[in-house]
Amino acid sequence: MTDYSPELRTAATWLRWAKWLQVPLYFLVLIGLYGAFVYAPTERVMGDVQRIFYHHVAAAFDAFLAFFIVFVAGILYLATRKVLWDQLAAAAVEVGIVFTTIVLTTGPVWAKPVWNTWFPWGDPRVMTTLVLWLIYVAYLILRSSLPEGDKKYKFCAVFGIIGFLDVPIVWMSIRWWRTIHPVVITSSGANLEPRMLQSMLAAILAWFVALFVLVLLRGAMRLHALAVEQLRQEILDRGRTAA
Amino acid sequence: MKTLRLIWTLTAKDLRIEYRSRQAFLTTVFFALLILIIFNFAFDPGDEKIRAAASGILWVSLLFPGVIQLNRSFQSEREEGTLFALILSPVDRGIIFVGKLLANWILLTLVDLLILGAFLIFYNFPLSSRLFWLPLLLVLVGLVFSSVGTLFAAMVSGLRTRDVLLPILLFPILVPVVIAAVNATRELFGTGEFQFFYQWIKLLVVTDVVFLAGAFLLFDFVVED
Repeated sequence: MTDYSPELRTAATWLRWAKWLQVPLYFLVLIGLYGAFVYAPTERVMGDVQRIFYHHVAAAFDAFLAFFIVFVAGILYLATRKVLWDQLAAAAVEVGIVFTTIVLTTGPVWAKPVWNTWFPWGDPRVMTTLVLWLIYVAYLILRSSLPEGDKKYKFCAVFGIIGFLDVPIVWMSIRWWRTIHPVVITSSGANLEPRMLQSMLAAILAWFVALFVLVLLRGAMRLHALAVEQLRQEILDRGRTAA
Repeated sequence: MKTLRLIWTLTAKDLRIEYRSRQAFLTTVFFALLILIIFNFAFDPGDEKIRAAASGILWVSLLFPGVIQLNRSFQSEREEGTLFALILSPVDRGIIFVGKLLANWILLTLVDLLILGAFLIFYNFPLSSRLFWLPLLLVLVGLVFSSVGTLFAAMVSGLRTRDVLLPILLFPILVPVVIAAVNATRELFGTGEFQFFYQWIKLLVVTDVVFLAGAFLLFDFVVED
């Protein structure tokens, strides 16, 4: 009989961490919302719509972090072949896609009134986020088309590593590309008012903790699902040998 | 020396197969030609504005058909069970990778050169000495395309969905390459001074190095078992 206890023990640890992190998370989210909607002053030119900025930037920042986790977990899987690293990477991809989707949907709401365009093609930040979204959706498609097992985890790790290596190249290529095209956007946030900066940092911290809570919960759920599937397979096999 | 000979043995094998069957090569050339011609109907090639978009049209018709070539390179190995034989042979996996990559790279460059010729004729481009830079671009883009492509093709070759999966995996990664290639080519087609041309070449060289090294190191994990 296979011993599932190591994976289940890992899942239990992750759940425990997630539980502990949930307590500060509630407060951080409240502080982050208060900061963005009440504490931070209204921007003089852009008006209230600029308040999207705090959580928009925070989601983007922590989405990058999620994909960095995918990269590191991929390397660790290839080095150790421990299934927990793969499940962590998969959970981080899922959460990262949710975060980038939030970035790509809140962005246009802000961009339309301010820059008079829904989607500023050519802005390196926007385009890099879009390309990241494409890369990791491709990761999920690859994942869903492979049967469960070491091979799947290896291929996904390989794709996660290659995908992350691409990020700085995408960034550079779009930055140079932009210098050719007319500049639509000037860099914002270089000189933030202190209360704005504090609100942004609070939002980043809230999303940072949210990222870990979500990845740990999702990862634990994946480990449980895997154990259940293995157990089911074992029962079926036993039934077959008995018959 | 021995390494080089081993690599060449593998590459020559693939090239010989392709020379005798001409299957992937002709399909790829035909598909690329088709895209080029469809673009001609979609946009009026006589229009001056289309001139500005010509470099984009060229690269779309070079990159998309390349996937056929990549898929083919592992499909036959799987079908005939020769991939297993390759893995069992007492040869470093890295050598297998480089051999496969070289074959893909050479074949893709040949296809690209043919399509480039057709493109210059279709769009009635004035031949200038700058166009001699184009083969260099083809080679640089071809290298990154075939190094990431060979790695991914090896991954998906055992799957039923490989024909859809390979472009889905490959093109998000290749976005910066497309940007660099299209913009460098646009400067070649123009008449003004080079502005960013050398910068794009630099970016392509860096991309080549990063992905060649990455794919070389990761190939081991893709073909083991």
